Amino acid sequence: MNELLVLDHLTLAYGRGAPAVEGMSLSVKEGELVSFLGPSGCGKSTTMRAIAGLLTPRSGRILLAGEDVTAVPPNKRGVGLVFQSYALFPHLTVFENVAFGLRARKESAAVIRSRVEEMVAAVGLAGFEHRLSTDLSGGQQQRVALARAMAVRPRLLLLDEPLSNLDARLRIEMRAELMRLQREYGITMIYVTHDQGEALALSSRIAVMNRGRIEQLGTPQALYAAPATPFVATFMGFENVFTVDGNQLAAGDGSKLPLVQQPGAGVQALAWRPQAVTLGSGPYSGTVRGASYQGDSVEYLIDSAGGTIKASAAAGSNFIPAGSEVSFDLPLAGAALIPAGAGA
Amino acid sequence: MFEKRSTGVLLTLPALVFLLVLFVLPVMVLLTRSLALPEGWGLGNFASFFSSELNRTIFWRTLRLAATVTAACVVLGYITAFGVLSYTKERRGMLTGFVILPLMISPVARTYAWIVVLGRTGFLNAVLTSLGIIDSPLRLLFTETAVFIGLVQLFLPLMVLPLLSALENLPRDVIPAAQLLGASRLMVLFKVILPLTREGLVVGGTLVFTGSVTAYITPAILGGSKVMMLETLLYQRINVANDLTGAAVIAVILVITTLAANKLLRRLATPRQRQEAR
Amino acid sequence: MQFLSRSLLWLVLLFLLGPFVVIVAAGFSAGDTLTFPPQGWSLRWYIKIFTIPEFQHSFVLSVWVGVGATLLALVLGVPVAYAIARYRLPFGETIRTLVSAPLIVPGIIIGLALLRYVVFTLNAPVEITLLLGHTTLLIPYAVRVVSASLDNLRSDIEEAAVLLGRSRLGAFFAVVMPNIRGAILAAFVLSFITSFNQVPVSLFLSGPGVSMLPTQMLWYMEYTYDPSIAALSALLALGAMLMVFLTERLLGLSRYM
Repeated sequence: MNELLVLDHLTLAYGRGAPAVEGMSLSVKEGELVSFLGPSGCGKSTTMRAIAGLLTPRSGRILLAGEDVTAVPPNKRGVGLVFQSYALFPHLTVFENVAFGLRARKESAAVIRSRVEEMVAAVGLAGFEHRLSTDLSGGQQQRVALARAMAVRPRLLLLDEPLSNLDARLRIEMRAELMRLQREYGITMIYVTHDQGEALALSSRIAVMNRGRIEQLGTPQALYAAPATPFVATFMGFENVFTVDGNQLAAGDGSKLPLVQQPGAGVQALAWRPQAVTLGSGPYSGTVRGASYQGDSVEYLIDSAGGTIKASAAAGSNFIPAGSEVSFDLPLAGAALIPAGAGA
Repeated sequence: MFEKRSTGVLLTLPALVFLLVLFVLPVMVLLTRSLALPEGWGLGNFASFFSSELNRTIFWRTLRLAATVTAACVVLGYITAFGVLSYTKERRGMLTGFVILPLMISPVARTYAWIVVLGRTGFLNAVLTSLGIIDSPLRLLFTETAVFIGLVQLFLPLMVLPLLSALENLPRDVIPAAQLLGASRLMVLFKVILPLTREGLVVGGTLVFTGSVTAYITPAILGGSKVMMLETLLYQRINVANDLTGAAVIAVILVITTLAANKLLRRLATPRQRQEAR
Repeated sequence: MQFLSRSLLWLVLLFLLGPFVVIVAAGFSAGDTLTFPPQGWSLRWYIKIFTIPEFQHSFVLSVWVGVGATLLALVLGVPVAYAIARYRLPFGETIRTLVSAPLIVPGIIIGLALLRYVVFTLNAPVEITLLLGHTTLLIPYAVRVVSASLDNLRSDIEEAAVLLGRSRLGAFFAVVMPNIRGAILAAFVLSFITSFNQVPVSLFLSGPGVSMLPTQMLWYMEYTYDPSIAALSALLALGAMLMVFLTERLLGLSRYM
């Protein structure tokens, strides 16, 4: 498949400040959906603004379908963007919002009408064409924003935390909708989010970003099974991360647990999901600080010599009340092995 | 605690009585004077006002100046507001201060400054002569152009302030959104920025237009007897001719023009799209 | 693009503020007429304006009328602002229109009406009529600025003060006043500047030896073409700048505009 987008050693900064993104390289193939996943301030939105042409890189190049577009203004790039705030034009109807880009391209009235109707129907808003965008609910505005960005058939569609302003139920619905649209139109997308669940559900590949760099790039399965850095591990739900220090496990705050079984050479850190921590027996012990019932499971916070351990047990198992002593195990079989030398 | 309406009414009473006695009543009596004819009441005074060619010239000049001054302030207002917004938040305060400052200075002083700038031996003629652009000084004072310049400088801040606040309150990201959809700068300006700042534009436009229609100081100083406007004409009716009825006619014309401009411009503030959608 | 819009901004600012630089310079002229470049430099015009009795008298009158009308407008206007903010008034819309109407009616008409029906008919002294006319004009400012501040103030603090044993009036002075003091001071400054600079209302309201400073300047410049008005204008501009600078520093005047 062709490489649609290539970021070549991109360094981005606002004004004369310190760079928000440094030396970032990435290529995206046609038809892919690549997520930029990371906490706020990691540079994911900055990168997206640069791809859109809203921010001029300090150095590096952006290639779109093989052509260097680093200096091409945003209105000539053919890149679509769905804003977090939707950025609908409040003075225009749904129809005119969706038609805006087509009018800018001076399409004929017939083309505009048919394309707008197609897109409005595709996002499930047929019949709403003549409403003002401000009269719609959040979910409907989101759909208009999508239809508007896709109506001009952009080569690449960027989505900036598009679901973050919706409630949980709508979010799942829109997620499915997005996947359907992406399949139907085969459009290449870059999806910016801080929600790993969203990234895992939608992406062909995920770029986990931290402090202006890509920590790890890979398929959701690869990231979930084998995080390459402690940061990625934390983001992928491995909430108990320890670096291997001789025959000890060192937590981030400096507290330590003895290492029972050596993981082998070249392993820098070990990480466990709460579900991988076994409770009731094992070489370690601690005090239950809090236990919260979640319906199908119980989440525990355990104070131990190795700091706070997060554990999760099936709801059917014995409930351990707060304040009790409990022994636990961190089995190597359930750990993610983080190799030395990768990432920060 | 605030349910006793009589207390509220009592609080407003002194001001209301004051305004009724010293504002509403005298102004009403003066305005009705325009309808008084020797043989009763009627619109005859207005007919005779407009039958004079000089009066018609002054009436149309007043409207023309108000319209062109407003148009110039709209263009300069956007330019100024965009310029202020191109600076960082911290700098904008100081720049806005520069724009507000002239509003605090006596309009007589502000207008007189143009005498010094535009006079026969004034600053501009001196500069142009010394640069060799002109041989003999231009006659700039006591022309419609001088009045136009004076009015634009006087009222521009009143246009900039509402535009600035309208531009600062634009919904997030709509301008980049329009650019990404392929809109050129002109399309962004006319299809996004102008419609979304319409209310600020109308507020500023109303202030500038009505201010220009009722301007006295500027035409008095920079227009003289050659370029009269309605208010200088009104002053002259009283001070030269002691013609109270004639002055009352002009007063009514001034009030009607300002009220009509207020009404008309406020209607423009409601976007057509919204009217259709409702 | 940024460079262009910034350059244009500075051109506009030059247009707005440049003339003041020119009059300051013109006031320093040594010559007897306004010419550019000035024939020599001196302080004589800046000194002379202080010796012209008409300017002295009208300056004093302008200050008195400005202060008096501002105080009167606040005394009348603050209760209105309070009533509008706290009570559901009958004919509320009409009251609001009435207290803002003096802004819409051209000042020259207010002045002429007062001359005819207060000075001529009632034989009221011109100075008092000036004071009343300016008060009319300033009431809208007082109401608007103080209303804006009261709208941002929760009304339950007064209820709390009354429940704690204060009288209604006592509660107003104990908990409302301290919170709207900034707005009242801002209204004072704005009103005084408005009154001091006002021409149309004062134009007809003058008599032998009685005129406001701007009106006096208008008459003076009709007959003389010397740089004294330039010097006076420059001083007024500098005074206004100083006043704005101080109040902005102390109160943040621009918050109330």
